[in-house]
Amino acid sequence: MIPIEFFLVLSAALFCVGIVGVITKTNGIVILMCIELMLNAANINFIAFASYLHDALGQIFVLMTISVAAAEVGVGIAILLHAYKSKKTTDVDDLTVLRW
Amino acid sequence: MNSFILPLLLLIPLIGAILSVAMSRKQEYAKYVAIICSAVTLAITLFCLYDLSNADYVYAQSSAWIDTESIKISFAVGVDGMSMLMILLTSLLVLLVSVFSSSEKDRPSTFFALIMAMEVGLLGVYMAQDYFLFYIFWEVTLIPMYFLISGWGGPRRHYAAIKFFIYTHVASLVMLIGIFALAMQASAGGALDFSFEAVKAASMAGLFSPAFQLVVFGMLFFGFAVKMPLVPFHTWLPDAHVEAPTAGSVLLAGVMLKMGSYGIIRVCLDVLPDGAHQWQTAMIVLAIIAILYGAYACIAQKDLKKMVAFSSISHMGMVLLGIAMLSGIGIQFAIFQMFAHGLITAVLFMVCGIVGHNAGTREIPLLGGLAGKMPVFAAFMMFGFLASLGLPGLVGFVAEFGIIMSFFEYLADIEVLWPIVFALASLMLTAGYYLWAMQRTLFGKETDKIDLTNVHDVSKLEGISLGVLCALIALFGILPALAMGLIENMPLVLWGVV
Amino acid sequence: MIMDYAWLIPLIPLLGFVAVGFFGKKLPEGGGYIAIGTAIIAFVISALVSYEYLTGDLFAASQPYVADIQWLAFGKYEINFGIYIDSLTCVMMLFSSFISTLIFVYSIGYMHGEGQRKRRYYAEIALFLSGMLGLILASNYLEMFIFWEIMGVCSYLLIGFWSFKHPEGDEASIKAASAAKKAFLVTRLGDVCFMTGLFVLLWSFGNLDFTTLFDPAEIAGADGTMILIGSLLLFGGVIGKSAQFPLQDWLPDAMAGPTTVSALIHAATMVKAGVYLVARSYPLFIQNADVMLLVAIIGGVTAFVAASMAMNNMNIKRVLAYSTISQLGYMIMALGAGGYLIAMEGEVEASIGYTAGVFHMVNHAFFKALLFMCAGSVIHAVGTEDMRKMGGLSKKMKITSATMLIGSLSIAGFPLLSGFWSKDLILEAAMEPSILGLPAGTIFLFLFALAAITAFMTAFYMFRMWFMTFKGQPKEASEHCHGESPRSMTVPLIILSIFAACSGFLIFLGLNNIITFSVLDHGSGVEYLVGGFGHTAGHIFESIFTNVWTYVSMALALFGILLAYLMYCKGSIDPARFNSNGESKIYKFLTARYFFPQLYDQIALKLGYGVARGVDYIDKNLVDGTVNGISNAVVGGSGSMRKMQSGYVRDYAAFIIVGVIVLVAILYVIVSWGGA
Repeated sequence: MIPIEFFLVLSAALFCVGIVGVITKTNGIVILMCIELMLNAANINFIAFASYLHDALGQIFVLMTISVAAAEVGVGIAILLHAYKSKKTTDVDDLTVLRW
Repeated sequence: MNSFILPLLLLIPLIGAILSVAMSRKQEYAKYVAIICSAVTLAITLFCLYDLSNADYVYAQSSAWIDTESIKISFAVGVDGMSMLMILLTSLLVLLVSVFSSSEKDRPSTFFALIMAMEVGLLGVYMAQDYFLFYIFWEVTLIPMYFLISGWGGPRRHYAAIKFFIYTHVASLVMLIGIFALAMQASAGGALDFSFEAVKAASMAGLFSPAFQLVVFGMLFFGFAVKMPLVPFHTWLPDAHVEAPTAGSVLLAGVMLKMGSYGIIRVCLDVLPDGAHQWQTAMIVLAIIAILYGAYACIAQKDLKKMVAFSSISHMGMVLLGIAMLSGIGIQFAIFQMFAHGLITAVLFMVCGIVGHNAGTREIPLLGGLAGKMPVFAAFMMFGFLASLGLPGLVGFVAEFGIIMSFFEYLADIEVLWPIVFALASLMLTAGYYLWAMQRTLFGKETDKIDLTNVHDVSKLEGISLGVLCALIALFGILPALAMGLIENMPLVLWGVV
Repeated sequence: MIMDYAWLIPLIPLLGFVAVGFFGKKLPEGGGYIAIGTAIIAFVISALVSYEYLTGDLFAASQPYVADIQWLAFGKYEINFGIYIDSLTCVMMLFSSFISTLIFVYSIGYMHGEGQRKRRYYAEIALFLSGMLGLILASNYLEMFIFWEIMGVCSYLLIGFWSFKHPEGDEASIKAASAAKKAFLVTRLGDVCFMTGLFVLLWSFGNLDFTTLFDPAEIAGADGTMILIGSLLLFGGVIGKSAQFPLQDWLPDAMAGPTTVSALIHAATMVKAGVYLVARSYPLFIQNADVMLLVAIIGGVTAFVAASMAMNNMNIKRVLAYSTISQLGYMIMALGAGGYLIAMEGEVEASIGYTAGVFHMVNHAFFKALLFMCAGSVIHAVGTEDMRKMGGLSKKMKITSATMLIGSLSIAGFPLLSGFWSKDLILEAAMEPSILGLPAGTIFLFLFALAAITAFMTAFYMFRMWFMTFKGQPKEASEHCHGESPRSMTVPLIILSIFAACSGFLIFLGLNNIITFSVLDHGSGVEYLVGGFGHTAGHIFESIFTNVWTYVSMALALFGILLAYLMYCKGSIDPARFNSNGESKIYKFLTARYFFPQLYDQIALKLGYGVARGVDYIDKNLVDGTVNGISNAVVGGSGSMRKMQSGYVRDYAAFIIVGVIVLVAILYVIVSWGGA
């Protein structure tokens, strides 16, 4: 059996990739993708623990996460599309209308 | 009648403030609202004085305001001789200031509304019988004064107003902590009772240990000392005065500074007698520093109004000296000095206002020989200055005489006489800076540094305000027993310290 | 009983002040006649009260008449307000109100051209008179102090009468303003001492009533050290008010005011308040011989120093001012010598020093007021105060020159004129302690020598002044002299000159019993008595004319007059020989007034302005600097914190992540620590 630590390391690495992406990238779509990465890192953890603890609750949560992530991406891409229509850019640093 | 006369005293200026704001369409009538409301307030005050002649705390009145399991705050008001004297001073000065500034052209409805709001706060401080209420009114006075300075002040008004607000506000927060400490210690785990009565009862019952008194006295004293103000916490005062409009200055120096010394007597000395004794030497030293420092600073000032502001610091130091004696005489004359200084300093700030307004500058080096152009003004200025330097026959002398006498008594008791020299030196210095200022502004060569062709003398309304004040200064100087009787009316036993 | 209404004496001039001050504009002569009227009423009531007191039982028993009401009570102290009449009070109020009346009348002529300012002038002198009479009648020290200060303010206001829009231009205005300030501040120094004395006495006695403080039983019961300190401090007030050494320098400057003011305030009345205070406080002062010795020394030194400065001054009013200081020194010295004698001897009947001092005070009031008014008349006519520009005026101003001659002879101590009698009594009093061989005898011998030299100098400078003004060749200012002054000025001169000549004889006509101070021991205790026990006329007469020193002082005075005649009238001795044309060191030293003005200025500059500059610097930079520094630190700190709020979401995310990592690390450390 693959030890649980392997899953955790994979998930942590994936999470870090996501974080670095969110912090360093300025393109809105890439940021959304990185957020997806982080969510998936969490999903891996859920599944790993579900298997490890013999508890199906973790898998249910993953399904829940996937659906929330889909909704979130849907809304995010809609905002970005709208922004792109009016500003001709998806670069979040240029979307400063609401910034004080 | 008795139960609602004090709330009425608060209500009338409040109504005045609201009406005055409502006058924004007919700005020119706002002054009549202010004058009438303050006159009514004064009339009620005088009625109280007349009625007060038989007992203490006659109008004590209390009704629960916030009354829960854990906290008890009441709307408790009451007066004794000291409060009454301060209330008299407040309502008198507000009326005179309204008359004096009735020619104000700049947004008069807001201006007079702020003055009336100020009066509410000041009267509230002097009649509150609940620490929470006291604190609320204490803070209420800040707001109108802030707007008076920042809205009608001189060129650096924003700096001065913010400095004034923040400085005194920080100090009152320290005081608030002290008040909480008092209330918590007094209620000893039960419902937090903020009323004067409860705290006093706890003090009498010995619930405040000496160490507790030492610390809490320090906190409260700091809050009050900044208000007085005491060197080295005084620097907000000259700035605020220089920038404030005349009405603001008069109320600030005439009544607001007295809140500090009033607080020390009413709160610190009353419920923390041990703390007072532990702090006594420090208070004496601080008072002497304030007296001499203020007097010396006056000599160096070039702005007439700034000089008067520093002289207030010096004279309030005198008040603290009287308080610090912790003896009946000292405290009585400290209260008398508060009253005297209120009357005199009002004259001085009005005079400064007139010179700034009529001659266009208050810089002493630019002025000179004004007595020829403005004889009535010169007479008022001389009268005010002489009164302030303690000329016998005027009210300032009685106060200073009593305070220094109590100081001498204290020194004679501890058999160290030489510190009396400091108090006496201040008398010399005070005479020195006032006479020097008069010499340079009123006498000598008529100045050619500013245009004096259109300078006119004191106007009729200004003359009335000044004349009333001067008459009162002379009256209380000749018959000090009028005010002393009122001060003695305060039950001496109430001061735990004496 | 008219005595019950004695409180009207100071009150009526006060009412005059109010009336003139408020309505003077509409009254003729700016209310001058009102002022005169109040002075006359005050004089009449004073005369009636004095008559009633001096013929009554109280005087026969040497007891004062006292009536007072409580003014203020605090703690264990009580302050009353009332009147206290004894023979000293009577003498003082009589000559004060009388001379004031004459000077007020004189003012009508002298101040005629002042226009609107007359109202101010008459209001202020009426207030002054009220202050003076109040001081004299006061029944306790605090009341006395109040009136003392009111007089000080009037003096300030009147010295500065021309402190703006001076008829002679701006320079003169500036000088007048500065002189007024100096007068107030220098006397204020004395007043502060006086006030401190009040604290000491109030603390020791519980009140300040004369009846309590002068009661031998009370004095015996009080703390001796406190009485010593108290009387020294009271004397500090005297030094200021009566312009004694070393606070004498304000009085010459005070001549910047109108001459009438100089005559009234700075010669006849206010400066006498100090002498009066010493005389009044005799029961306290004589408790310590050293205090009295100090009083005598200060008096003697003042007399000499001031007289020396008068010798080469060219300003007619300043010569008189120095002369006033010098004569005040005489009075103080006499009182000191007499008091020393009592303090040493114990029981003394009718102290000669006391009588001499008070007697000289009365005489001096007459002749010095006369001299000042004559000087005023001259100044009024020639328009200058510089004696070098006068000369030969006796032809044009006959009355003035004759009356001034009488005044000068009197002050110089010419035999049988008033100054002669009192000055001789003073010299006798100064001599007495050394004759009796008391411990401080040599000091008094020295003081006697100073006084004798001063007598010579007095004669010299007075006649130098008289000859320079009225004799010799007419100089530039004499040219436009328009003749004698108006009647309102000359009539008071004539009346006063009669008194100046003859007031000395009063000592043989009853004054000898009035101005005395005795200490009697009944065995049960001592008693201090003012008035009632005097030397007989015959005794005074005998002691003056059988004393060899009388003839010496007479000779000195005559020699002084002769020298002045030779130097300034006949011209046979050139004054330049003595002072190398004004180049000699001593001449310059005298002209510089012993460098006292510089000393005062330096003290004011260093102790006042210098420290003030330092305090101001500290205030601006250190105290306010700290406050502004804190606020700048807060504002600056928030400025740098604000930079973190970049507005970029990813920055915030980074902060959150870093924060979480740090938190986890801390938790980990804590947990692992706790586990271990």
